[in-house]
Amino acid sequence: MKTKLIGIAVLLAVIFAGGGYYFYRSQTAIQTLNGYLGGEKIGLFEDEEVQDILRSKYHLKLNYSRAGSLDMVTADFTDRDYLFPSSQTALEYYNDTYGKSVADEIIFNTPIVLYSHKIVADALVNKGIITQTDGVYYADMQKLTECILNKTQWSELGLPELYGTVTVDTTDPVRSNSGNMFAVLLAVTLNGGETIDINSVDKVLPELKEIFSQLGYMETSSSDLFSQFLRMGAGAKPIIAGYENQLIEYAEEQPESYAKIKDDIVIIYPSPALWSTHIYIALDEEGKAGIEALSDNKIQEIAWKKHGFRTDGCDIASAGFSGIPEQINKVIHMPDYETMKKIIDSLK
Amino acid sequence: MKKSFFVRLFTVIFLPVFILCGCGTDEKSNVSADARYNGNFNGETIKILSGSENKELSDILNRCADKTGVTIEMTYQGSVDIMHTLQSGAEEYDAVWPASSLWISLGDTSHIVKYNSSVYTTPVVFGIRKSLAENLGFVGKEVSVIDILDAIRNGKLSFCMTSATQSNSGAGAYIGFLYALLGKTDTLTESDLESETLKRDISQLLSGIDRSSGSSDWLKDMFLAGDFDAMVNYECLIIDTNQELVSQGKEPLYVVYPADGLNIADSPLCYVDHGNTKKQEAFQAVQKYLLSEDVQNEIQKTGRRTGFENVSEENSNIFNKDWGIDTQRILSPITMPAEKVLTKALNLYQTEFRKPSLNIYCLDFSGSMTGEGNAQLEKAMAQILIQENAENNMLQAGRNEVNIVITFSGDIRNIYTAENSDAESLEYLYEQISSENPHGGTNMYVAVKKGMEILSEYENLKDYTPAIILMSDGASDTISESECTDYYNKLGLDIPVFSIMFGNADSTQLDKLAELTNARVFDGRTDLVSAFKTVKGYN
Repeated sequence: MKTKLIGIAVLLAVIFAGGGYYFYRSQTAIQTLNGYLGGEKIGLFEDEEVQDILRSKYHLKLNYSRAGSLDMVTADFTDRDYLFPSSQTALEYYNDTYGKSVADEIIFNTPIVLYSHKIVADALVNKGIITQTDGVYYADMQKLTECILNKTQWSELGLPELYGTVTVDTTDPVRSNSGNMFAVLLAVTLNGGETIDINSVDKVLPELKEIFSQLGYMETSSSDLFSQFLRMGAGAKPIIAGYENQLIEYAEEQPESYAKIKDDIVIIYPSPALWSTHIYIALDEEGKAGIEALSDNKIQEIAWKKHGFRTDGCDIASAGFSGIPEQINKVIHMPDYETMKKIIDSLK
Repeated sequence: MKKSFFVRLFTVIFLPVFILCGCGTDEKSNVSADARYNGNFNGETIKILSGSENKELSDILNRCADKTGVTIEMTYQGSVDIMHTLQSGAEEYDAVWPASSLWISLGDTSHIVKYNSSVYTTPVVFGIRKSLAENLGFVGKEVSVIDILDAIRNGKLSFCMTSATQSNSGAGAYIGFLYALLGKTDTLTESDLESETLKRDISQLLSGIDRSSGSSDWLKDMFLAGDFDAMVNYECLIIDTNQELVSQGKEPLYVVYPADGLNIADSPLCYVDHGNTKKQEAFQAVQKYLLSEDVQNEIQKTGRRTGFENVSEENSNIFNKDWGIDTQRILSPITMPAEKVLTKALNLYQTEFRKPSLNIYCLDFSGSMTGEGNAQLEKAMAQILIQENAENNMLQAGRNEVNIVITFSGDIRNIYTAENSDAESLEYLYEQISSENPHGGTNMYVAVKKGMEILSEYENLKDYTPAIILMSDGASDTISESECTDYYNKLGLDIPVFSIMFGNADSTQLDKLAELTNARVFDGRTDLVSAFKTVKGYN
């Protein structure tokens, strides 16, 4: 009996010592970083596997508030350690406003794509606005832009079920990156496919403004726009601009729902194409820790496999996902910040 | 033996720890919920600010609380109010659930909203008495807003609709009307709104409104209690109305999807982040439950569209084809305009386009109002009558609006009439109210009857939406009750008596008046100012 009691006492001591150590560790060693995050990366930050690696290997916890890539640059930085927007423009905007950042690093990339529904895609294929090569849909930006500018009715494309004119719904280009980058694609198209700079931008602005004024109210987050696209059907959102990673992530996270919509959802690669660069900006010394952690090999692997962001050495072919090209061709470069500023200001 | 020893040991050591963790997260709150679904004792509570259309989900929320252990408190507000609450930080709420994502995007200026997910979708439609819809030639064909306007112009159709500046269904329908009347297939602009033709057409269309309301759910209740031809509401609430009408042996409504001005509600449920991990986990459990396949199917059974596919075969009888409900149709809504255009359109609705209100305020100045009561009343009236304040809540007076105040205690004390609807006249009304001092007994019936008499003298009462807004703080003398109700019955006019309960008001007296006049009672006991704001949103 006595030995039993001693045994229990030892056991309890071990439990308390272990618990106490864990408590001590979690109190002292885990550092919490707060920041603003683009909506398309929420899935990654909410991923328990990623959170585990951050905690166990880097003793970090990344808290976030969702904000548009450009919106976050002007948000309240009190108690914030990082920004994680989706473009170089946001970084340049930051540097222009506050001076050079403490540290910044490109974490991964994903191309800007269009999402549409089968009946819409079929109609667009019929009219030669999109084409299919090796199982991948490509949009002829020239033809698509003409449809938008000419206020072509959906009925003229053989879709009397859809009300109104041909538009591509985007997030607000002044506040959020996917809309902003789609504006660049349109601007380049309006410039005859040539990259635009501070000299050539002026002549495309009137038409660019006209196109965006047609969109009316715009979402500020690409994640909201994408989920509305999925939920509300072809009639509500015939075509949207988004990121390639969004559908890959959706298919990974919600395989059952994806199976139901798979045949209806079409991913279209605009030609020319544009990369969205997901760049981590540290706002203070503490914030710098996020760069090393997010560049971790295992996290990078998860970012591709489960969330669809293209990382160094990611294997596209093995993803088993149809309609996604290994190479993104005819890529154009983002205009410099001065030019971007002019575009953003004109769309305000 | 061993087991029980360990169980006891663990209970002694660990239970207090759990209890300590459990409390301390329950902060005090000064909002009283409209509905509460109890989860576990000691479990987490989440407070959801929601559109009234979710009242129909009470059985599902009840089971949700049961299954997740999370207590759910629902507070119902119009979408515009939800947007305002979000803009000012929504400190008292853990989640918001408006009818449309639009209000989240406009409201989340400080980035506190997370985990936005649509629970169901439902279009805003016209529900028209089936025989009338047949007469109008609306059955089995595409109907445009212009067809509806023609029927209104010819005096063949009138309808009920919520206020565009208070409720999402009203706002959605109204914006749809604007598109259709302008013949726009691209986006509405500010200059479109200046058009004189539009002003004439939209005023004509809105003149077809019999009754308005600040809440879609109450519009349904009012419709069922009254004798109306048609209403604009969510498809799911028309289904609900029809189930009720059919069970009463009455004629159901026929659903018309206005092809050139359709709007869809997407019902987003979102977490409001105040940095409390426990609340966040509780919210996520609730959201996960509501989005699970079985529960989505239950939600579909309430007439709401869920999932990515069409309505399931199992539920097709709920989306009854004989009622004009069409689940095969591709719903192609109009684009909502940019924020600036939207705000301008809504302000024009409030001040220019809608049918003018004819408000008669009957205000209690009995002795018991002395002090705090009187101070609160003054504050409330300042929110409605001082136009700068009213504008913040889109409650400003419209063109040709009439405002009359009857003050009463044991008898009528004074009658003040604002000369017109401009800011000075209304401020004059406010000053008169402020200068009165409470004393004496309470006889609300004499004031209400006086209000009805004043209304009956308007020959063109049809050109207004009339309402009596009664505020009382104590049990009324009933000496004039039968005189008042007899007079109302004899008059045969559709005049709602909305009342605001305050202090020690007798709710049974107010309920009776509300039932008699197909109106409703608002509880102003905890917050008189917000009760007045809500009631003004109804007219």
